[in-house]
Amino acid sequence: MRRSSVTARRLAAVSVSLAVAAGAVACGPEDNDARTASGGASAKPAKGGTLTVLNSDPQQDFDPARLYTSGGGNVPSLVFRTLTTRNREDGAKGAEVVPDLATDTGRPSENATVWTYTLKEGLKYEDGSAITSADIKYGIERSFAAELSGGAPYLRDWLIGGADYQGPYKDEKGLDSIGTPDERTIVFRLNKPEGEFPYLATQTQFAPVPKAKDTGTKYEEHPVSSGPYKVVSNENDGERLVLARNTHWSASTDAERKAYPDRIDVRSGLDSSVINQRLSSSQGADAAAVTTDTNLGPAELAKVSGDEELAARVGTGHFGYTNYIAFNPKVKPFDDPKVRQAISYAVDRSSVVNAAGGSSLAEAATTYLPNQKSFGHTPYDHFPAGRSGNPAKAGELLKEAGHANGLTVTLTHSNAKDFETSPEIATAIQDALKKAGITVKLQGLEDNDYKDRIHDAKTEPGFFLAHWGADWPSGGPFLAPIFDGRQIVEDGANFNTGFLDDKSVNAEIDAINKLTDLDEAATRWGALDKKIGERALTVPLFHPVYKRLYGKDVKNIVISDWTGVLDISQVAVK
Amino acid sequence: MSDVLIASRAPGADLSVPGASGARQFWRRLRAQRAALVAAGAVAALVLVALAAPLLTAVEGQDPTTYHPDLVDSARGGVPVGPFGGAGGEHWLGVEPQTGRDLFARLVYGARVSLGVALAATVVQIVIGVAVGVAAALGTHWADQLLSRFTDVIVAMPLMIMSLALLAIVPSSFPRPVLVALVIGLIAWGNIAKIVRAQTLTLKGLDHVAAARLSGWGGWRIARRELLPGLAAPVITYAAILVPQNITVEAALSFLGVGVKPPTPSWGQMLTAADVWYQAAPQYLLLPAGALFVTVLALTVLGDGVRTALDPRAASRLRVGTGRRREAASEGSGGTDPEGPGGAEPEGPGGAERPGGAERGGAV
Repeated sequence: MRRSSVTARRLAAVSVSLAVAAGAVACGPEDNDARTASGGASAKPAKGGTLTVLNSDPQQDFDPARLYTSGGGNVPSLVFRTLTTRNREDGAKGAEVVPDLATDTGRPSENATVWTYTLKEGLKYEDGSAITSADIKYGIERSFAAELSGGAPYLRDWLIGGADYQGPYKDEKGLDSIGTPDERTIVFRLNKPEGEFPYLATQTQFAPVPKAKDTGTKYEEHPVSSGPYKVVSNENDGERLVLARNTHWSASTDAERKAYPDRIDVRSGLDSSVINQRLSSSQGADAAAVTTDTNLGPAELAKVSGDEELAARVGTGHFGYTNYIAFNPKVKPFDDPKVRQAISYAVDRSSVVNAAGGSSLAEAATTYLPNQKSFGHTPYDHFPAGRSGNPAKAGELLKEAGHANGLTVTLTHSNAKDFETSPEIATAIQDALKKAGITVKLQGLEDNDYKDRIHDAKTEPGFFLAHWGADWPSGGPFLAPIFDGRQIVEDGANFNTGFLDDKSVNAEIDAINKLTDLDEAATRWGALDKKIGERALTVPLFHPVYKRLYGKDVKNIVISDWTGVLDISQVAVK
Repeated sequence: MSDVLIASRAPGADLSVPGASGARQFWRRLRAQRAALVAAGAVAALVLVALAAPLLTAVEGQDPTTYHPDLVDSARGGVPVGPFGGAGGEHWLGVEPQTGRDLFARLVYGARVSLGVALAATVVQIVIGVAVGVAAALGTHWADQLLSRFTDVIVAMPLMIMSLALLAIVPSSFPRPVLVALVIGLIAWGNIAKIVRAQTLTLKGLDHVAAARLSGWGGWRIARRELLPGLAAPVITYAAILVPQNITVEAALSFLGVGVKPPTPSWGQMLTAADVWYQAAPQYLLLPAGALFVTVLALTVLGDGVRTALDPRAASRLRVGTGRRREAASEGSGGTDPEGPGGAEPEGPGGAERPGGAERGGAV
């Protein structure tokens, strides 16, 4: 038990930011307007050509054991097939989980603690050898090895014996909780009911790894492909990654990936303004280019929206993500619900949305859960502030709370230039709260310092900007880490920043985790979110909207709600 | 011409002479330079604007922190509504993208931070520089060695990196503008200390100082009565160069996010926020950039004018309207100046000739 839950949760913290990046990878704005359809994007897609991917972050540690992805990632998903995967469709349909290597999304038994999968027939690696269930078991076991860390903490938390397992290099016997009764069947035994296991099975840890070809930490240089593309070269740890067709992949076993281009050339380490500039000029190879991690900023959007040709080449997507104000009720005066409610009423969401880049890049939020069907979004607005705040109501509450002469508080934020927890958002809140008689002092921290402090129970500030994104599009990974009382970590990375430990909330989380009907679970998550919202432990501010440019020769744009970004497995350049 | 000759031997000695002649001469020389006068006017205007910031914004009817969400086009990333960034009778210079805050108000309040921090930092630099320089020159051999080597270390320190480090570790509760001024002042005094030490050593060897010493005056009295007046010229000159330097350092620190904190406006901070907007809302970038450019240029030209007026032999490298072009041309044709017109060394026969030329040229 060396790797305690603390470690696991640290990983979870990392995962959130990575999930965003991965989400960018899987970009797929719902084709929100007719302009896209009228452009070159509507022409019939054909095979061939080279797709260039212009990115800022490199594809580091390109090993299925080490990648932290939402739904298998965007570039990784071209090389690694998993038991299940995300539905490659626009909008809300794209937030569904569908079979990939398996014939279905998993058959639960024993109260959703046992999950059984059967592999499709005729599955092959890039060398033509057959993919077996033992390879998937081995791939998962590798991810427990300390030298291959980086993945999400769920497998360790959920699988029986997972907490103590050291990986196949130290423990050749493997994990007993993963059974492979025959070459095409794999059975997972969990220590508690987890109705959302099919979502987890989309992550790259569920990709097959042939034991004979495993080279340990060197495997990332040339992982054996099960998907439509194989790695040709990988320079500087994923800075430049060239993929070519895997001739042994067959579309007849893969309903999700289209694989139109012959080659994929991923170039990273570019500045975001350079990426957007190259995509907008769209010259030479850049005409067949996309980005999987770079959004348009407010100023770039202002320029693009004034140019019809460019505006037609913008994909819009929604990733399940919420930016909010968090309170620490252990710090005065935020122990008083009336103070928290007063701030909820006083917030001016229109100026916050503008600070985040305007209504095209952010949607005002009054719910903690993202405004998407798969999360079970249930609209509520317990402390209606309208578009621009209700300072009068806030003032009344402050008076009731004994702060008739005003109140001075400190708002902690990050100095990152991300338009999320950055100074722009903080000053917008400062200005709005001034109208309600609340003087806000700003405490801007260096980004790493900020993250360390807000996730440490001992240093957590009373009033700070925060954000949260889900590992998969469901209420579970969104609500449980933040509001499950048993997930409070006193020393180590803590995400339950409101220190909520409510028996009824904890019990409802357990009850929903038992559900295997994901639609029913979504409804219950939504209802739970509404109930937790009454406590005013957070003030939801906005959900981001992703806008991304793509080159003028790029066709077949698919942007799901799962990732919010263009899905490169669907893109054609001919 | 005799007083000029004295000045050439002992720089600044003309100021040490009691009475109005030195100051009068200074003003005469300064007035003779049109560029310096224009620059002085610009600096005076900037200082006035900074001091009168609350008044000016009250006349405009705006303030630097109030948001105007209705004045920006939210769907287009928050670009200001209307031509020229929404400039007009309500908002003289338009509004800031995304927030709709008044740009004129932010610009004039930003002048307070830029000028205030730069001036305060300069004062700190001069106080430390003069104290260390004089102490090194008058002290024992060991004190001189110690202080001079320490000064060398300070000069060798990279200003930006040191400032970034210092500003990052000080708690954010400390008043930020004061802190920025202190940090710049405490790091960048090395050059002024070196100049003061060299000048003091020169002065120490002069007859009137030797005479004072022979009369039994103490070190402190000599420093105060005989040395400090002689140091005034180089110190004032160097200060005039330091102020614009400090303005750019403050802007750079704010640009990097460690300077003054929002919502306090500063030009450097406006530049940071504006750098991505240069295509969509160019005036947002051009206003603070232009203000910074004009201020630094005016202060530099004024500083050069002051230097020429105080110590005319140190010919200006700036040849903007100082009337020195003609002088340089005539000198060049005469071929009498072995050092060339740009020589800044106080010694040499050519140096003694130049001030007269400067006066002549400027007076035309």
